[in-house]
Amino acid sequence: MVKISEEMDNLLKDNGIKQEEIQEVIDNAESSGTKLKARDGDLAIAKGVSDNLTMYAVYSPSELVDAYAHKMSILGITGGELDDVANDDESEWECAKCGEIALERNVDMTYMGVTRPGPGLVCPKCDEYYVSAGVAKTLKTAESILEEKRA
Amino acid sequence: MGDSIMPAEDYIPIDQDWLGEAGSLWTTPWVDKPSDRVIVDPIILSHAATVFRKNAGYFYQNPEEAVRMVCAACELYDVTPVGHYLYADYWGADYGAELKVQTNSPPGITKRPIKTPEDVDNFEVLDTDELVKGPTLTTHYKALDTVLEEYPQMFAPITQLGGTMEVATNWAAIEDVFMWMITEPELVDKLCTKAGDHMVNACRATAERYGANVMITGSVIASGDLMDVEQIKRFSHKPVSRAVKKVLNAGAGPGVYYHLCGNHTDDYQMWRDAPMSPFTIVQIGYDGQDIFPTSKLVEAFGDRCTCFGTVDTKLVDRGTPAQVYEQAKEQVLAGKDSPRGFILGTACECPTNAPPVNVHALVRAAKDHGKYEKF
Repeated sequence: MVKISEEMDNLLKDNGIKQEEIQEVIDNAESSGTKLKARDGDLAIAKGVSDNLTMYAVYSPSELVDAYAHKMSILGITGGELDDVANDDESEWECAKCGEIALERNVDMTYMGVTRPGPGLVCPKCDEYYVSAGVAKTLKTAESILEEKRA
Repeated sequence: MGDSIMPAEDYIPIDQDWLGEAGSLWTTPWVDKPSDRVIVDPIILSHAATVFRKNAGYFYQNPEEAVRMVCAACELYDVTPVGHYLYADYWGADYGAELKVQTNSPPGITKRPIKTPEDVDNFEVLDTDELVKGPTLTTHYKALDTVLEEYPQMFAPITQLGGTMEVATNWAAIEDVFMWMITEPELVDKLCTKAGDHMVNACRATAERYGANVMITGSVIASGDLMDVEQIKRFSHKPVSRAVKKVLNAGAGPGVYYHLCGNHTDDYQMWRDAPMSPFTIVQIGYDGQDIFPTSKLVEAFGDRCTCFGTVDTKLVDRGTPAQVYEQAKEQVLAGKDSPRGFILGTACECPTNAPPVNVHALVRAAKDHGKYEKF
């Protein structure tokens, strides 16, 4: 079990996430190896995907350092293929399972019947998709707009 | 009336029925919510001033009134209901450049802060707090605050950036930057990296103030008329992409508007993989000397983001209404059912002194030929 500070507990509450849910996300990542680990340092990102929410835990071996979630579902790479791109796409993370550097690529996201691209962290071998905490904040704004406009 | 300021009470309130309808048209490209037809955005800025018998200089010296004029012009022309205020030479003045207000065109920089390679090395990007106190955002936020207060339904928290080459050439003379591209390209890398960092800080400032942000970026100077593909990739596409990623990773989105002005025949494909958010527009000006065909735009970007089809600004400025209508018709027919939304507009800002009948012709084409078939 990782330690969850009072600050993190408040963050979880703000995001409507229970402590046991985020612990389960971490436990699953640790047992399956499906997670990103920092290329420099000991942080990891684990995710838990359900029908209408994707939760993320950023944690060190000893404690939870961030937690966030988004409602948009990630469908896959925008355009369908992982082609070469002209911009620098290597992220600061690598896939713990296969060791590949996670790429910063556009992924298609869908919510309330609308599908659009968003910036994801992609393992090029395992086809696993993640988003950063900052992008989750951006997605939250996007979700609010869609909820208002699609209502 | 002369050049006296027109306070808010001198304007008639925006017609709420029109606003509701225009808002509905404006929503469709973003959230796939059915509406009748394609919306038109001729990027009205100082052109609005001419509708009020004012000039560009007046427009840019009076940001509060400028956006009132823009909002009124939006209703007059029946176009995108958004109160814009921006110009190309943003950000120079924050770093010591001298800005000259001009009567018949947007403000221009006359003296830039970076003159030597050493100046590039010593140049320090302002942080978010410093930018907020600077001349660009102080003026910009006067305009945005006015829209938010007086025209809340026409408010969009936009940050005007241009791309890294545009910011860089507002800091250093364009002839110096182009010379360094040949003699000391690493220096231009450094300059563009700093321009990218500045872009991130500016977007963060707007997002912190208004809770969201739409960044206008892209590649204007970095076009095929002035640079080759490798230069565009190195000094524009890569640092701009890096900056957009940082902005989105900082939670300072969600809007990303890629404004690729000028000729992008040889580089437009690389922008397919530029970082995008769920609210991304791509607009491309020209294909060689010709207007960029919407069919080509939709083929490249239609499965990714909202496409902004364009009509030649030279035509809007100096053509006939019939010429504008014909080109707009062709573009709107090619784009209206683009999978992730379509907007019809002009290749760049609506020319200040464009004949109003030409803007009307653009809108008429969308009304006559822009009816959605996919909804």
